[in-house]
Amino acid sequence: MMPSRRALLSMDFGTPVPVADHWIRLQRTAMACRFTILLSGEDAHQVPAAQDELDEVERVEAALTVFREASDLVRLNRRAAAAPVAASPELFALLALCRELHAETEGAFDITSTPLSRCWGFLAREGRLPATEEIEAARALVGMDAVTLDASRRTVRFQRPGVELNLGSIGKGYALRRIGARLQGRGLGHALLSAAGSSVLAIGGRDGGWLIDVRSPQRPDRCLARLRLRNGALGTSGAGEQFVEVGGTRYGHVIDPRTGWPAQGVLSASVVHRDAALADALATAFCVGGPELARRYCATHPQTLALLTPSEGPVRTEVIGAYPGATLLEAAAA
Amino acid sequence: MNLTPEQQAVGRRNFLKALAGTPALAGLGVAAAARGPLRGGPVRIGFVGVGGQGGVLLEQLEPAYGEVRAVCDVNPAQLAKAAATLAKTGRPPARQYAEWRDLLQKEDVEAVIVAAPLWMHAEIVTGCLDAGRHVLCEKMMAWDVAGAEQMRDAAARNRRILEIGYQRFYNPMYQAAYDGIVQRGVLGEVYHARLAWHRNGNWRRSGTPPSPDYDPSRWGYPTFEHLLNWRLYWRYSKGLFAELGSHQISVANWFFGAAPEAVAASGGVQRFRDGREVYDHVYAMVDYPQGRTAVFSSIESNEFDGYYEMFMGTKGTLILKGEAEAYLFHEGKAGGPTTVEVSMKGPGPVLEASESRRADAAGAAGGRASVSERVDRLSPYRLEMAAFCSAVRVGTPIACGPERALASTRACVRANEAVAQKTRLAL
Repeated sequence: MMPSRRALLSMDFGTPVPVADHWIRLQRTAMACRFTILLSGEDAHQVPAAQDELDEVERVEAALTVFREASDLVRLNRRAAAAPVAASPELFALLALCRELHAETEGAFDITSTPLSRCWGFLAREGRLPATEEIEAARALVGMDAVTLDASRRTVRFQRPGVELNLGSIGKGYALRRIGARLQGRGLGHALLSAAGSSVLAIGGRDGGWLIDVRSPQRPDRCLARLRLRNGALGTSGAGEQFVEVGGTRYGHVIDPRTGWPAQGVLSASVVHRDAALADALATAFCVGGPELARRYCATHPQTLALLTPSEGPVRTEVIGAYPGATLLEAAAA
Repeated sequence: MNLTPEQQAVGRRNFLKALAGTPALAGLGVAAAARGPLRGGPVRIGFVGVGGQGGVLLEQLEPAYGEVRAVCDVNPAQLAKAAATLAKTGRPPARQYAEWRDLLQKEDVEAVIVAAPLWMHAEIVTGCLDAGRHVLCEKMMAWDVAGAEQMRDAAARNRRILEIGYQRFYNPMYQAAYDGIVQRGVLGEVYHARLAWHRNGNWRRSGTPPSPDYDPSRWGYPTFEHLLNWRLYWRYSKGLFAELGSHQISVANWFFGAAPEAVAASGGVQRFRDGREVYDHVYAMVDYPQGRTAVFSSIESNEFDGYYEMFMGTKGTLILKGEAEAYLFHEGKAGGPTTVEVSMKGPGPVLEASESRRADAAGAAGGRASVSERVDRLSPYRLEMAAFCSAVRVGTPIACGPERALASTRACVRANEAVAQKTRLAL
């Protein structure tokens, strides 16, 4: 007689303790990276819901990417210099958030920096050292001051031609925020969402939280930090794999929009925040602005935790601020 | 059977989607169905045969379920390995025997795990059952049908449990596939199954005798080589049909809900003409009632196809590959691109965060090496042993049992005869 699964599960083993010693990992490629939803075995009944919500990533991508001809953002970039362009409520709200973040990070987070990335060759993934004039020409196109958001009409207008918006440093976190909210709305209590490993969102978290290591591809031998995370997001940014080396100096692909030159001094910047979109954006901002900016920001924004590892000298991770759902188990010390 | 990554993604997603909302799905992520000490204490167990397969079962027996009192093997080297396994897993040493009858006489064991060479199954298992012991015997059930029937009768006569070690019956993935897809008719009408187990290598093993004066002839093996390579000689073995085919034919029997009616087969010693007797290439067409046919092939000259069971229905195709991966394809329908993987939990972090990487090596983590595994192939053995102990202690049902094992034994024994006679034989 073949026992049914129910019979197997109800076998008398004395004190039955339901054990789920497996992970279930759902993955989908979108936004040029891998989106993952990790569920514990006991939450297997949530697999269909998780699969449905991965569809949401594609919807977000269709709206926000600059790499698809038909995206809302591409349309906006093409026309907003000529006349105000109406944006969907979702896109408009996100752009408003980006403007706010630009101000709060003293210009370190800037969604208009695309001309600089192009000038340094990072858009084509072929980094090069541009001439000073090229950098200055690109800088002239950059700046949130050239972007006018009209909340009453929900329109976007560029004040000069050549302005380009790129949501690459907030889009993945934003997508996770969306999926996370929808999954929680469907009663999901525990899941770990991630995109490319650089954007992470923890829903719930058993046994003190999801155990996460922060690492850098530059220093694969070291764990920069180990933390347990409950109900919070982790964004990570770094100068990492894409760089250009000129005269012995290594220039990473994250460009400081304020100087026009690649950001220097930070190997890896991670931010833990309630909001996955903010965690993502702030990680980029702190990668650009360094520990000074992180300290100033965290001092005025409670419930923000920043982990910064400098690129020079021994690997040592500086811990700035705090987040109630994050327990730091380990931070690299020199 | 090789699928592109895209096809794998589609197939996995379809498989899970088909299980959505069924109890079958809940079982997928759960390898060990339950844990904890067995009421009444662990079952006192003796092992007869602790070579490759017996060694796996010894390792996978959780102490909460079974206490290893004694181990028996005609090869002292295997006894030493078994002792090392027990030590490695923190269990007390077991007494050692060369002769299984001594073990039965001297040890107060309730159950015996038999993993001796096939030709000894009937004698040892019947002896154990007649001595009032419960038995879990490795597959194939017996060297011939008469032996298997003798085992079945001995279990009934003595009112003892006899389970045969077809671990697929304890694999949550197979359970889920049967409950959630086959039973629910997701495949439509299924007329054909393909069973393949393709390898590229020599089945012959090499090794040195445990001591220069070791004499295996008292155990029925003229030379140590015969003991080591018992699988290659008809006196001890039924070849690929028994060692590999019986697993897959058992699954076909299970999913078709029937026993085969006839078998036609072909094969021979084609590649390794080194004095072996059993075939290194075999092919069988196994007919079931209602016009259903399974085709089994096992070859030792190419491994591209791998090993899998594939059920081809009017509405869909179910593929169970390598005991670890499941795919479902609907006839004439395209699917989406989500992949689903099941992996063991390990002690490490569940995720490695970092700046986004070009090739996206990041974010995959979950304990590095441990995550890349899919369903742990060993967990069905663990479940099998736990369920057997539970059956002994509290009478819960076993998954395979003598009747099912007999059905595949009949087909596999007959398949070898069909090869020899170059004909189709009724069952």
